[in-house]
Amino acid sequence: MMIRHVFIAMAAAAAIGQGTANAQSPADLNDLQIAHVAYVADNIDIRYAHLALAISSNPDIREFAQTMIRDHSAVNEQALALLAKLNAQPEDNFLSRSLQENAEKLIDEMSGLRGAEFDRRYAENELAYHKAVNDLVGNAFIPNIENAEVMALFEAGLEIFQAHEGHAEKMVGMLK
Amino acid sequence: MTIVAERRNVLTGIVASLAATVSAFRFSALAHNGEIHAAPPTNHEVEIKAFKFVPATLKVSPGDTITWTNRDLVPHTATAHDKSWDTGRIERGKSASITCRQGMATAYFCRFHPAMKAKLENSTDS
Repeated sequence: MMIRHVFIAMAAAAAIGQGTANAQSPADLNDLQIAHVAYVADNIDIRYAHLALAISSNPDIREFAQTMIRDHSAVNEQALALLAKLNAQPEDNFLSRSLQENAEKLIDEMSGLRGAEFDRRYAENELAYHKAVNDLVGNAFIPNIENAEVMALFEAGLEIFQAHEGHAEKMVGMLK
Repeated sequence: MTIVAERRNVLTGIVASLAATVSAFRFSALAHNGEIHAAPPTNHEVEIKAFKFVPATLKVSPGDTITWTNRDLVPHTATAHDKSWDTGRIERGKSASITCRQGMATAYFCRFHPAMKAKLENSTDS
């Protein structure tokens, strides 16, 4: 009985999740939802970096991970300051939840790797992750943000994340 | 006689101004670690903006000061390519300076973002 209920609940949740994903696209998000996606995306990269510092002994990987923590924390600090100034609360949404779920899976996967295998996987993921986020910010978020200050922060953020993407690309090349 | 007196005054004036020049010259030489540096030291400003050092090439002389100001959201450094000099971490909106020395490393980068590169040139070389 209990098990059946759990199954029904899971099926319903999956259906809602699927439905929500289909019903919304990143371009439909409002400024506060966009801000929340960016905040979650920043924190995910900070978590990846902490994992790298815990596992990797490669000095280039460690230096890169420290830069990710330093830069993404700086951007988040600005984002929180701006939200406080605008007296706004970030809004959870389908995209921030989906980013979070994917990150959990990747962290589980990367936690099982060691040595050069971990370094390569981390670098490749950093490249792919920054590419995906930059695509989202540049093509879906920036054209749709309404508030000028939020826009300015995202433009500055994009510049930073593009530099990270270039850095990650070099690292992937070096580790091949 | 008036003329003699005037000549004496002129001579005294020349000696005094010579002495002043020599002492200024000595001071200048001491101030720049033995480098003879006729022009007064200059303070150069470099902006760090959009992940670039602006200007990317800066002409300097020994004794000059360079001040980097970070206009980006994230911290940067200005670090010699051989790490022989380093401003340390420069936070958003903050500045850091170094004084130029003869023979110092001229190529530099940001330790946090190694793709950010720039260089100094000795202004007496060109």
